[in-house]
Amino acid sequence: MIAGPVLAIETSCDETAAAVVEGRDVRSSVVASQADLHAPYGGVVPEVAARHHLGTVNAVLDEALDRAGVAAGDLVAVAVTQRPGLIGALLVGLSTARAFAYARRLPMAMVDHLHGHIAAAWLNPVALDPPFVSLVASGGHTRLDLVRDLAAPQLVGQTIDDAAGEALDKGARLLGLGYPGGPALERLAAAGDRAAHRFPIALAGKGVRDFSFAGVKTSLMYAVREAGDLDDAARADLAASYQEAIMTPLAERLVAAARQHGVPAVTVGGGVAANGRLREMVTAKAEAAGLRVAFPDRALCTDNAAMIGAAAQFTPLVEWPGFVSLDAMPTAPPGGIAA
Amino acid sequence: MTTFALDTSTPSPALALVQDDGSAATLRLDASPNAGRRVMLAAHGLFVSTGIDVADVRRVVVGVGPGAFTGVRIGIATALGLGQALGCPVEGVVTHEAAALGMAQVAPDGALVVPASDARRGELFAAAYRWDGATLTTLVEPCAIAPADLASLVAERLDERGAVVGGNGAQILAPHLPAGAYALAAGSPGHGIDARHLVARADAGATVPVRPVYARLPDAEVNRLRNLEAAS
Ligand SMILES: [Zn+2]
Repeated sequence: MIAGPVLAIETSCDETAAAVVEGRDVRSSVVASQADLHAPYGGVVPEVAARHHLGTVNAVLDEALDRAGVAAGDLVAVAVTQRPGLIGALLVGLSTARAFAYARRLPMAMVDHLHGHIAAAWLNPVALDPPFVSLVASGGHTRLDLVRDLAAPQLVGQTIDDAAGEALDKGARLLGLGYPGGPALERLAAAGDRAAHRFPIALAGKGVRDFSFAGVKTSLMYAVREAGDLDDAARADLAASYQEAIMTPLAERLVAAARQHGVPAVTVGGGVAANGRLREMVTAKAEAAGLRVAFPDRALCTDNAAMIGAAAQFTPLVEWPGFVSLDAMPTAPPGGIAA
Repeated sequence: MTTFALDTSTPSPALALVQDDGSAATLRLDASPNAGRRVMLAAHGLFVSTGIDVADVRRVVVGVGPGAFTGVRIGIATALGLGQALGCPVEGVVTHEAAALGMAQVAPDGALVVPASDARRGELFAAAYRWDGATLTTLVEPCAIAPADLASLVAERLDERGAVVGGNGAQILAPHLPAGAYALAAGSPGHGIDARHLVARADAGATVPVRPVYARLPDAEVNRLRNLEAAS
């Protein structure tokens, strides 16, 4: 573990974030969301994201240091999201962090974004220690990792097509909701009957740990088309049933993986982990199986830099000035998070 | 006092460490599409070769474009990151103004100087200036422009002193140029940016906000506006 305060920066998608993390303590975590900026385009526009990151990152960094009451001279390391993500967006954070670390002669941790989501539950107050199984579900990723060692999570399942958050966004669009679709769909679903429609759950079967969401999206498209003019109640039923079909395999396979590998706890991360219905289902199934459920605060589930500071504790530090030649990467290298 | 200057908005990033007495160490990377991503490695090389400690930098000057979007951002993010860590000021300079100073050194006295870099899609990132030996006057503000349109702007401002075009867009513009205007020969030192000229512009008070000069909207915004227009 790194002894002292670590400055962490995250700019892989559409949140500009900085944090100061010391051991398991989040001393500050600042997130400037761009969601409103991308709404007119119906999704994240890489060039718009990169432009906005550059205009925001220094102020966010300042505020993180300020709120933590930490001066640049107190820092012992700088962590940054190096991969995977939108390359133009990543390069803003990486260039900022690398220059900062260079000028202060600090070592750097080049962090994998998914590693950050997995490590978020390790932070206080949740303070989850391995072994556990982690579900990361967001607009870009859906994966299950067996974590016996936080330095080397093992991938045990992932989506073979759409990410869960992407499926939620697409479903929201089919139901005439705006972007970002996940939260809007959840609000609409709250008023609906989740048993009103039976949408298919793909790759069903014992021992299956992968996910597929392309089929359920197509089913919703047909259901919407068949229904013709939808009143509010009918739309709410469709939203609730659709959400159920996405969340059910996530919750079931997370808990099944923990039982299979004999680990005592599960956790969730990523934007979809902020969904109340998913939390309900994971809690019910995990408790029935006698497992501990460790939910990080919602703000630590969606993209943030505190989780990057957490993963930095389990990422090899690159001493000054060795990191000057390191670059951002749009995709993770083969071999996954620990590579 | 040491000033660190950098520009990564062209395929050949330029760096310099400049002292108050005017002495300087400079570096320019060979042209390659992602050369900007190696700027910190190059900067470290410059610090090591000069024996200057990064902590001794008291001012950072950065070229803000126009140029390739990602390259411009890397330079600015690097400059601001250094400035934030060192607690020193960061000043922006229009890249094409620094380019113009370099071109003026190899151009006839009083000639129009036209820095032009390849902006793809049939356009150039270009501007036009006149240098009288002491003052740089802007005749065409930095913009993304088709070569034929730029050539017309040059023709309108051309006099007997001629015009000189430099940069990696010079050869693209060359066939469109009016008589009296010419592109620098391949290999001329006037094509590249000398980062000392960024500092010269800053010293002359020609600083601009440390924000990219994009000269173009994102494609998604162009499409969105087009759709709005079509719908109205
Ligand atoms: Zn994420």
